[in-house]
Amino acid sequence: MLDFGLIQAHTLYLAQDATATAEASGGIDFYSFVNQLLNGIGIVGVLLLTGLGLAITFGVMRIINLAHGEFIMLGAYVTFLMQSAFQMDLLLTIPFAFLGTALVGAVTELTVIRRLYGRPLETLLATWGLSIVIQGVVKLIFSAQLKYVKSPPYISGNLLLMTRQDGTPLISISYYRLFIIAIALLMLGITLYLLYKTPLGRQVRAVAQNRDMAKCLGVNTSLIDLLTFAYGCGLAGIAGAVISSLKSVSPPMGQDYLVDAWMVVVTGGVDKLIGVLAGSFLIGESNAAIAYVLNDPVARVIVLAAVIVLIRYRPEGLFTVQKRA
Amino acid sequence: MVESRSPRIHFGSIGRRKFIKYGSLAIGAGVISACTRGGDTTTSAVTGSSGSAASGDAVKVGVMYSTTGTIAIVEKSLQDATFLAVEQINQGTGPWQGKQGVAGKQIEMVVVNPDSNWDLYNQMAKRLINEDQVSCVLGCYTSASRKSVLPVFEENDAILYYPVYYEGNECSSNVFYTGAAPNQQITDSIPYCYENFGPKGFFIGSDYIYPKESNRIAKAELEAQGGQVVGDEYAALGTTEFITIINKIKQAQPDFVLSNLVGDSIPAFYRQFKDAGITPDQIPIMAYPTTEEEIQAMGPEYAEGHYSSFNYFQTVDTPENKAFVEQFKAKFGDNRVTNGVMEAAYLQTFFMAQAMEQILEAGEEITTSTLREATRGQEFNAPQGKVKVDPDNYHTYLYSRIGRWQADGQAEIVFATPSAVKPIPWSQALYKGRLCVHPTPDDRSDPTQETGNELPVEYLES
Repeated sequence: MLDFGLIQAHTLYLAQDATATAEASGGIDFYSFVNQLLNGIGIVGVLLLTGLGLAITFGVMRIINLAHGEFIMLGAYVTFLMQSAFQMDLLLTIPFAFLGTALVGAVTELTVIRRLYGRPLETLLATWGLSIVIQGVVKLIFSAQLKYVKSPPYISGNLLLMTRQDGTPLISISYYRLFIIAIALLMLGITLYLLYKTPLGRQVRAVAQNRDMAKCLGVNTSLIDLLTFAYGCGLAGIAGAVISSLKSVSPPMGQDYLVDAWMVVVTGGVDKLIGVLAGSFLIGESNAAIAYVLNDPVARVIVLAAVIVLIRYRPEGLFTVQKRA
Repeated sequence: MVESRSPRIHFGSIGRRKFIKYGSLAIGAGVISACTRGGDTTTSAVTGSSGSAASGDAVKVGVMYSTTGTIAIVEKSLQDATFLAVEQINQGTGPWQGKQGVAGKQIEMVVVNPDSNWDLYNQMAKRLINEDQVSCVLGCYTSASRKSVLPVFEENDAILYYPVYYEGNECSSNVFYTGAAPNQQITDSIPYCYENFGPKGFFIGSDYIYPKESNRIAKAELEAQGGQVVGDEYAALGTTEFITIINKIKQAQPDFVLSNLVGDSIPAFYRQFKDAGITPDQIPIMAYPTTEEEIQAMGPEYAEGHYSSFNYFQTVDTPENKAFVEQFKAKFGDNRVTNGVMEAAYLQTFFMAQAMEQILEAGEEITTSTLREATRGQEFNAPQGKVKVDPDNYHTYLYSRIGRWQADGQAEIVFATPSAVKPIPWSQALYKGRLCVHPTPDDRSDPTQETGNELPVEYLES
């Protein structure tokens, strides 16, 4: 009953805002909604960062990697380890998080994934099992307690885009969220460059498109597979390191990001890397908007349902190049 | 589209035998890891120095906390506290100084791990009662898990000691509730918020039974005070993205936020709250499930200036607490902290041991009915102060305290009742005058009594 009342109240505000736009007195809800859309950008940053690694391992390599969340978790733990052992700044731990998870990823590729290419069902089962194993091992080493990661003190506070007359913030976004977006875009840029502008990237794409032909042309496919998978895992590690100070660090933390990352990749489409950006933008913003009008759990259900409908009608995702069969 | 364009599964090039080999390997790996993950039982008799106690001469007690899954973070600490208490009872150290075991018998723990899975709690409870034949069970954390096992304990007439603050509105003949009832946590904290912060409260919580019920009671209390509920938001269990809820808080401009978030969500919420530029001077957070454990995990700088309402804080100044903190750190490491739920898990083990001792010394058998009658009215000098099991409603007389978090991650106690408060299981804001009185001896009839009157606040005589 009460919930219903709240919904009505909000819809009413929105309806008002559409007509009476920037009235300083009655327009607080309008600003609040703008603020919320800006906040949505903050969600987009996290989604983009966590989805990027999966876009490599699934999008490029077609490996159904259910252990993706665990690689994010590993990145967060590398950051925790570096901080507690060497009092390192969070930014300095990012390369270590990348290398550490990439290493684990490489070992995984050599021991498990390599033996399962072309068999998605078994890969799915094996990576699912792997995710449980990684969680268990981390729990054995670090215990199940939540871990504390120190955020860099110089990235704190909010960027004020608009303030009220008395100086209180009206529209603002936190610097740390902006930092996450910046890192995410940077990593996307680097990945695009590597994939489309370097000889190595050309080989990666060649292997993805036609493994046998690439092999015939002298490409060392197994080395390319190893590097690509390790790179995808390393990206997940960076995501873990960067978000660790904004969220909670615990062994099951990866599960939360796994579903989101998959939604992003599936929505955006797997053929174009840029689809990840579109997918995370769509999901992040629609989540933010719906959550503002209704509430968080409902928004999650609606967005998830929308993604299911989308893949029913466009199984290739939104951004796909038409290929000849 | 007749032919799928997606990558095809090529069985041909691999060969059937190889396929079966690798396939079963992959499945096997999954199955093995799934099995080791949850549902394991270990029987461990912490027999102490002598180690001579044969299992026939020991008292079997079930310990049911999840050490894997989403709730494991808290439940593991409850298990640790229980292990410490049992070790002290078996070895005759700590509060059990000068005795050994319960009337000479060692306590043998049957430890199960329900993997944070509500159905498994139910199965594990059945197994403990019917197969392992334990005399009672210490366990559960979330209300969902308690609700899942309650029918099992009632059907089999077995006893559960439940150590967690909860939403109340329950009164079973088969459960001893040693955590706070609503009147020992909510009833004092809401007037405190109203008087010290202001009338407008914003309520948030994780999306399951305890936070919703607890907030329902707290909202009723606030409205009874003359305050105003300006927001009521829930986040899925385990969520770590709070940007939307924080934006709504900013918009509603409340005088305080009342948080019933649990688990992984807590550090994420406090961190993002501060990151969004809201200081505790502007909007303080009053929380129930936020303990020393979570403060340590989020970093004390994020919690400094916010509040928690609990029966126990690590900073409580009693000789019993000093000893408890010391013994706990000696056993589990110097970097560990103690918290209110752990303390309840610790003290309820002593309630149980005292009751068992009483039964055995009177020359009787430990059965459900003797244990139930002996536990009623037990007193114990717990770390939080002197506590007592209420002989009528099986809840516990506990202190009510409010702590303000400081830069070192410990609480400065800003409010405390003079002694332990008598528990009232039914929220009086919602069910005015409803009492719970079990008959003596308990014949398991309906204990609910309606008085229709306001119930007085009663304290335990110290």
